[in-house]
Amino acid sequence: MIYLFQLMNGIGLGMLYFLLAVGLSVIFGLLHFVNFAHGAFYLLGAYLCYALLQYGVGFWGALVLAAIIVAAIAAVVETGLLKRIYRLDHMYHIVATIGLALMIQEIVIIVWGPVGSSVPAPQALSGAIMLGNFIYPEYRLFVIGLTAVLAIVLWWVLEGTRLGAVVRAGSESTEMVSLLGYDINRINTAVFALGAGLAGLAGALAAPIRGVDPFMGVEALAVAFVVVVIGGMGSYTGALVAGLLVGIVQSLMTTIWPAGASLAIYIAMVLVVLVMPRGLLGRA
Amino acid sequence: MHRRRFLQLSSIASAALAAPPILRTAFAADDAITIAAPLPMSGAFAANGKYGSMGTSMAVADAGSVLGKKLSYLEIDTEGRPATAVRKIQEAMQQKKVQLFAGGILSSSALAMGAEVNKHQGVFFTTAGADEITGSNCNKSTFRWSVPTYGAINETVRPLIEKMPKAKRWYTITPKYVFGEGLLNAAKDVFKEKGVELVGNSYHSLDEKEFSGYITNAVAAQPDVLLILNFGSQSSATLRQAVNFGLKSKMTILVAWASGLEQFEELGADVSDGIYFGAQYWHGIDSPFNKELVAKVQKEKGINPNYSFAGAYIMAKLLSDGAKKGGSADGSAVIKALEGMEYDGMTGKETIRAADHQVIKNYYLLKGKAKAAMKDKDDYADIISSGQSFLSPEDAKCKMT
Repeated sequence: MIYLFQLMNGIGLGMLYFLLAVGLSVIFGLLHFVNFAHGAFYLLGAYLCYALLQYGVGFWGALVLAAIIVAAIAAVVETGLLKRIYRLDHMYHIVATIGLALMIQEIVIIVWGPVGSSVPAPQALSGAIMLGNFIYPEYRLFVIGLTAVLAIVLWWVLEGTRLGAVVRAGSESTEMVSLLGYDINRINTAVFALGAGLAGLAGALAAPIRGVDPFMGVEALAVAFVVVVIGGMGSYTGALVAGLLVGIVQSLMTTIWPAGASLAIYIAMVLVVLVMPRGLLGRA
Repeated sequence: MHRRRFLQLSSIASAALAAPPILRTAFAADDAITIAAPLPMSGAFAANGKYGSMGTSMAVADAGSVLGKKLSYLEIDTEGRPATAVRKIQEAMQQKKVQLFAGGILSSSALAMGAEVNKHQGVFFTTAGADEITGSNCNKSTFRWSVPTYGAINETVRPLIEKMPKAKRWYTITPKYVFGEGLLNAAKDVFKEKGVELVGNSYHSLDEKEFSGYITNAVAAQPDVLLILNFGSQSSATLRQAVNFGLKSKMTILVAWASGLEQFEELGADVSDGIYFGAQYWHGIDSPFNKELVAKVQKEKGINPNYSFAGAYIMAKLLSDGAKKGGSADGSAVIKALEGMEYDGMTGKETIRAADHQVIKNYYLLKGKAKAAMKDKDDYADIISSGQSFLSPEDAKCKMT
């Protein structure tokens, strides 16, 4: 029975991990850009949610605003800095985005201090449901539901709409898309802002679950990369499958071998990479 | 990009991201007596390090000069890693000739640093908790201000069992390293003596961040009391998630080793209300020295001192007092001066036991109060009980080396 509970808990955890990683995967898949500032956008989303709540904005407003503000900041950064280095080696992407991540982290410490804080879940979702002995917070259920909806919407936008087709075509040949009359720069900015906004939303959604602290971005980045590598770099479906896999592995391990639970996700990554070097659903 | 190159670059980048504040090191003047504070200034325990640094620097500034020399302060970022801590201690001792150290919040780092300082006959004062520090791994150079794990359990679990005799089923969540094992073993001894059943334990690693799985394990065991044995941000995460899962209404929760005020600030009254916490220090302690310190910190920093601040302050003060009393800042002179020293500390009269270098002081059981009952913004908890529990140096297996 306990394994069933852990499986359910793992699915919940996995959906959070998916949301955390999907923006990173989308940016890599469509822009071929390695964004090490992804964790910092997650951090920023969490702190913006916290700050907006302090200023009396309701939780739902804070959630939406945090994601939009992070996306807007990302759009500015992309236009002002990152688009100039797209054509350079990945090493330059990493150096630039690490610098950006460090700046964001230090700004967070300057503004909000080094000590973390708790963020209350909205009143309507502050309870927990009981399924026999299994107890699960209503807020986490909401996060699972919202993430599932987002996953479907995102999939539909990328796979089923004209906009998605243009974006995907842009990742293959920027020249062709430009010749068709689309402004590739604006498309890139939009994709980057979307990826960062998803990280910001993940941060805001995670805040009531894990609180906020200035170092949460680094932890999140590590998990996001594990998910992206397992799923296959740039693969949207891969991020979903890998997120769930990581969540379930971690959760089950807390019962089977608790001391190694956090290590287990890295072992899972090594095993997947050994057997399938491109990840579960990777293309290249 | 090829996968291999991607993974290579990723690992370099992750390492760089995880250790940003290396550049923040202060400096030591040549003609001064230096107190170094090896603290986790980055990583998961950085908040503790930040306040520890503030406490040390204030104590050094208050002392001004010792034996006609200016007292100076050297901040060392241990990153919470034993290997880094030892390497930086070596550098400080060999290149900067530092002899006096106050810090080492994590037991794993403190044990390693104490052994290293002892090799070079310096003095290392720590607040880390594992029994071994002044027990089986004690040494001539290492002193400890905090009550070790044995005392922390005896002053929290024991009074709570006495308060709630019907709560017979306890569940523990424990970090798998020397500190957690120390707390768990001490708790098992008290359970055995009091006829309490340990219905389950979840070990977790020191870098764990997600505790929902362990909480699921705990709920399945249906305990009366959940005893949280981890520390710092991990205990905050465990407690926050336990409260999210609605455990507060189903069982009593005790955090045996809380980090005091900074942890309450992080959790907020909504989470901490009704929870029991063990604490080394609380700004509301009614002692002359503590009242003086609280007034001073409020005046100079505009905050109430928390455990990390207060512990670091008193350790640095004891080191400078030891140098004054011993007439020299050399390790051996300070050690001799500190052994057996009695002084008015924050928790009342405190004594440094000569046989094992353990400070004999109170440990506190606090209970979080509701937001509506708080008299000021830091009035998060009431002191329920306090007392002193220590193994004798022989029982702690201290053979001084």
